Amino acid sequence: MASFMLPPVVSYACSCGLINPITKLYFCRHCLQLRCGFCVCHEVDSHFCSSCLENIPSSEAKLKKNRCNNCFNCPSCQHTLSARATTVVVPKKVDDPEKGDGDDKEKDKVITRKMYYLSCLACRWTTRDVGIPDQTVASGAWPECEYANQTRLNAIMEYYQSVVLQEKQEKQDLWKRKTPKKHKYFSLTDRTGLTVSMIRRQMGWADKAPPKPKAITPSEASEEVDELPESIFTEPVNLKNITTIKQRHSQPADQPETVDNLFPQRKSLWIKRSLRCRQCEHNIIKPEYHPTSIKYRIQLFASYHVPEVRLVKCEQPLKAGVANFVILNFANPTMHDMVVKIIELPSEDEEALLIEEFRRGFEKQTSLTSTPSLTSALSRQTSLNEEPRFVDKRTTAKLEYPNVPFTVNHRDDSAEFDEDTQIQQEEPPFVIWRKSNKVSVKLGFTPDPDLASNDEVVVGFSMQYNYVNTVINTADRSEPQKHTLHARVYVKVGNITSESA
Amino acid sequence: MDNSVKIMPKAIVCEESVLRGDITISPGCIIHTSATIIAECGPIILGENCIVEEYATIINKNASEEAEAGGNALIIGTNNVFEVGCHVQAKKIGENNIFECKSYVSPAVSVSSGCVIGAGCRLLAAQTLPEHTVIYSKNCLQRDAMEKQSQALQIESLRKILPNYHHLKKATFDAKKIRGQV
Repeated sequence: MASFMLPPVVSYACSCGLINPITKLYFCRHCLQLRCGFCVCHEVDSHFCSSCLENIPSSEAKLKKNRCNNCFNCPSCQHTLSARATTVVVPKKVDDPEKGDGDDKEKDKVITRKMYYLSCLACRWTTRDVGIPDQTVASGAWPECEYANQTRLNAIMEYYQSVVLQEKQEKQDLWKRKTPKKHKYFSLTDRTGLTVSMIRRQMGWADKAPPKPKAITPSEASEEVDELPESIFTEPVNLKNITTIKQRHSQPADQPETVDNLFPQRKSLWIKRSLRCRQCEHNIIKPEYHPTSIKYRIQLFASYHVPEVRLVKCEQPLKAGVANFVILNFANPTMHDMVVKIIELPSEDEEALLIEEFRRGFEKQTSLTSTPSLTSALSRQTSLNEEPRFVDKRTTAKLEYPNVPFTVNHRDDSAEFDEDTQIQQEEPPFVIWRKSNKVSVKLGFTPDPDLASNDEVVVGFSMQYNYVNTVINTADRSEPQKHTLHARVYVKVGNITSESA
Repeated sequence: MDNSVKIMPKAIVCEESVLRGDITISPGCIIHTSATIIAECGPIILGENCIVEEYATIINKNASEEAEAGGNALIIGTNNVFEVGCHVQAKKIGENNIFECKSYVSPAVSVSSGCVIGAGCRLLAAQTLPEHTVIYSKNCLQRDAMEKQSQALQIESLRKILPNYHHLKKATFDAKKIRGQV
């Protein structure tokens, strides 16, 4: 996981030809292919608030403009605001002032009441700063801001919704007229050529046409802009009173210019998403539904299925055209022994064949789904296929491919606690170290002679490994299937040392 | 460096704190364990009801050019809070300031009153912070605070809890006694 945040040293080519570190790749168990973020369908599973972890149904989220009901962000620094309680002493309300003068004791009585205000723990902004009165309940009762353009925007939105509705209706009508419905039983209107609307008109009823969208006054652009106020030239600017760009953008409805107009902003909702392979439509990632859970129901990350390659060491200095060696570490993440073989990368023709195969896989899938399952196509996002391409990374060194397979033992979590019992076995000469599920190999390579100083040296190879599929695709085969798979791996071993050094 | 630490009565100073040089700790102060106060270039006078938390460092680095008769003392006002891991070398510190975790204040800065130096903020350039300034976020943004920051509750609870779990340094200075001696 060393490569999680850093620029990747070892990258894998996805089946579409894009280069990614293994932490960003997925492995489809059904297609037996690597998949990157572009080769999978991203679907929103559930909406939730990251602060209160409340699960919000998608229809409600849409209604609330994807914002949480109870949680607020600080308008000053965009952190989450927290409610703070204070006790205030309020004089007890005397219902009838005239009656009250008789008993003074009653008048002096005070009650302490808990009042709440919102405060930011990062920048110490509070709702009191902008004069929002304290509330008697901790959440839910905060005043909603009214914006000047709100009614106008609502009117426009309503108008366009009705326009869309009308267009849809018209399209449907046209389609109905073009393809008359064949009913099982003949209806009277079919024979007589009467239509429903004709009958309605004859009866003197109003036509059932949908209401025309109410016209709105279109906005007009004007060239006249208000002059700058005189004070802007004469008075010094106090930056503490002026909002930053970030503060203005976080409050898009009114974009205040001064800090005294900052208003707590409702927190945006987060989503849990599931990923689906675009070729076989199987789920690749499916999180657990509950927002507080960080577990997955299905998790096919590539790092759980594909041997992980790490760069251990590369002899420095690297010189163009001078033979060198690199030590790579292979780790087997699966529960089955793997036989790994390092072979040459596919040539251009072979790569073109791979691309062709990738494309064919999609065509097969679209022909399968387009005809029978119209409903699924409607409900699901239309899948945009990632165009396969040639790998955009050229190796700049010649690797000596050993072409001899070696085994990488299966992962065994308890092996770490066992005593180190090395079973001597026949090892190929390039295997220099072996422990539990890890194997280090030493490979020779020669950087290309035409490399200039500080050029990157990239070693590439195709890793052939056998993978045991534990999911049973077909009912008749109950035994786990073995597959021989390939992954294209590119390792950045370093830069050519400059001549002067 | 001579160690002449004056601890007034009612101040709570943990045994494991590091105090070096001429330091005066006023009544009501709370110095946690492993807090460091070093009077390097002159005395440090800590005002009443200050809290110096764990791993906080206060160093007097007032440059010698200003070191006229007694001018190089670092006088810290009342009710200041130095939170965990802060590093303060300021020229002057007023009242009611909060130095949040891991903040840094260079010797060129004077802090007035009611200021908050946010967590991790680094103040380097020569400046005098106006009153009620809040410095926050990664880019050290500034804003004005309306609220007065108060930590009276925190002091109260620390005063109760700290003596139960820590060895304390004894008060070395009694205002009544010294008057008698002089």
